[in-house]
Amino acid sequence: MKEKLVLENVNKIYGDGETAVTALQKVSLTVKEGEFVAVVGPSGSGKSTFLSIAGALLSPTSGRILINQKDVTHLTSREMSDVRVKNLGFIFQASNLVPYLKVLDQLLLVSKLAGKVGKEAEQKAKELLDQVGLLHRMNYYPEKLSGGERQRVAIARAFMNDPGVILADEPTASLDSKRGRAVVELMASEVKQRGKAAVMVTHDERVLDLCDRIVTIKDGMLYEKKADIVNKDKKPEASVLG
Amino acid sequence: MFLALRELKYSKGRYGLIGLIMVLVAWLTFIVSGLANGLSSDNASILKNMDADYFVLQSDSEHKLTRSALPVEKLDEVRQLNGDIQAEPLSQTMLSVYQTGSNKKIDIAVFAIEPEGTLMPSITEGQNMAANDEIVVDSSLKEKGIKLGDTIGDKDLGIEWKVVGFTKNQKFSHTPVVFMDIQYFSDLMQASMGKKVASYNSIVIKSDSVNKDTLQKNLTDAEVITKQEAVQGIPGFKEEQGSLTMMIAFLIVIAAFIQAVFFYVITLQKISQFGVLKAIGAKTSYLATNLVGQVLLLAIVAVAISIGLTFGVSAILPESMPFELGTDILSQYSGLLILVSIIGALLSLNRIAKVDAIEAIGRVE
Ligand SMILES: Nc1ncnc2c1ncn2[C@@H]1O[C@H](COP(=O)(O)OP(=O)(O)OP(=O)(O)O)[C@@H](O)[C@H]1O
Ligand SMILES: [Mg+2]
Repeated sequence: MKEKLVLENVNKIYGDGETAVTALQKVSLTVKEGEFVAVVGPSGSGKSTFLSIAGALLSPTSGRILINQKDVTHLTSREMSDVRVKNLGFIFQASNLVPYLKVLDQLLLVSKLAGKVGKEAEQKAKELLDQVGLLHRMNYYPEKLSGGERQRVAIARAFMNDPGVILADEPTASLDSKRGRAVVELMASEVKQRGKAAVMVTHDERVLDLCDRIVTIKDGMLYEKKADIVNKDKKPEASVLG
Repeated sequence: MFLALRELKYSKGRYGLIGLIMVLVAWLTFIVSGLANGLSSDNASILKNMDADYFVLQSDSEHKLTRSALPVEKLDEVRQLNGDIQAEPLSQTMLSVYQTGSNKKIDIAVFAIEPEGTLMPSITEGQNMAANDEIVVDSSLKEKGIKLGDTIGDKDLGIEWKVVGFTKNQKFSHTPVVFMDIQYFSDLMQASMGKKVASYNSIVIKSDSVNKDTLQKNLTDAEVITKQEAVQGIPGFKEEQGSLTMMIAFLIVIAAFIQAVFFYVITLQKISQFGVLKAIGAKTSYLATNLVGQVLLLAIVAVAISIGLTFGVSAILPESMPFELGTDILSQYSGLLILVSIIGALLSLNRIAKVDAIEAIGRVE
């Protein structure tokens, strides 16, 4: 299986001198195709920092990052934009949809940013919307959707450019537990089906059983207990989506 | 423009409102500029339309045609300077006259010239003056009820002139101009006003080869000014145009500020949205293009609507209202309004450039 996301000995120190804060310390993680990894940890432990570095939004102080086998450690911000648009799919906490774009346009925007336009992109967008069960909401503005529906649009958007890696930042934070679970189930099934590597930061313990691996960050260090690996046979049910 | 157009459509209300304000400001700008243009013609059209390069005035007359008196010999002096020089005498005075058979006074500006010279404007109706008591007048006198063949004059002086022709766009200091023969005018001044020495107000020069400085050097006791300076020297001209130009400048600055602030506030509201867009891979240049697209579209549509409205207003304004829309002035101010809206957008662009994609994730920064 291919290694889609690799972090090697990543350190991140914010600021310098007296005020320096070590947010990540010797963090290494490899995520393979088809793997869904959950990142948990107490507040202030460095989860967001970890996700930002894995998502080519922030450069590490030292260490190496490979996305889709491409080294992205020392890129300019323009090049990082390109990496993000082509290789990464983001799912954020909330309010991450553009308020003035209809559901279909939310997806088309992403392919536009990657320089793809035309019938093909539209076809693909409709397919994805169909898969997350929102084709009938294609011409709705986000304000007319429920929280769960919005997160499902965000998931479809994350998959739009066929990225190798999906990164999610507390995707269930703004949802009730039933809908939160449905959203994570949908992510898990898409990741499996399409052979993506996915990393999700979460506080929601009830969805951890849907992930293949669980890693914990504490005081900037990453721990993985092999015993935490949960059974992968549980099939997500798309029918309970909110 | 993918984002720009969709946002305009989605937030019709707020963009419509700023568009409306833009339309009103642009409309007012155009109306004031039309007025400035019209008043300028009303004040100086005789000089502006004159086929002349320079005016020779008496020294120390401070560019004022009305103040100058040159001895008649000066004309020959000027003519002998250079064969290329075309010089003609001009005398001028302001009068209040009666139309024969009426008790209402009419203000006129008498311009006495050589009837066959180049200073004589083209006649739109009737014919050129042939006899001493014949005059050609500006067509705006028609509004005062004057027709071909009518006579106007001064009862006290016992003079009467017959209107034999009309000409167009000849006004001086907001007063219709009456053209008469300069020879006759000089005699008249000597006879009725008791002037001892014959004089001209000015000598009007047209020349391709001689410039102002050479003229000034070669003439004693004289002041040489350009046509533009002569226009500026008309009493009240500078003050009138100056205040209107200042109004226009203020309107354009106001338009710039309104738009800059509006787009800046909207940009501030959208900071987190820009963070998300950058996180999913939108470059600053892409977001900037969309913003400039919105600003341009709004400004162009607003200016276009105001141009339409301005022409509408100009069609219903009374004939006597000094209102004139020049296409060059209109396009200049339109360009300026659009330009300042883009300059105003720079403030927002700077803010967008500063947004960090990382703001989309967690609490980091
Ligand atoms: N821009 C920054 N400058 C300085 N220190 C920072 C910055 N961002 C984060 N930190 C520090 O780095 C550490 C890790 O922060 P991070 O945001 O990654 O935590 P987190 O695990 O996401 O917390 P939470 O669960 O509350 O979101 C914290 O101690 C935080 O104060
Ligand atoms: Mg966080």
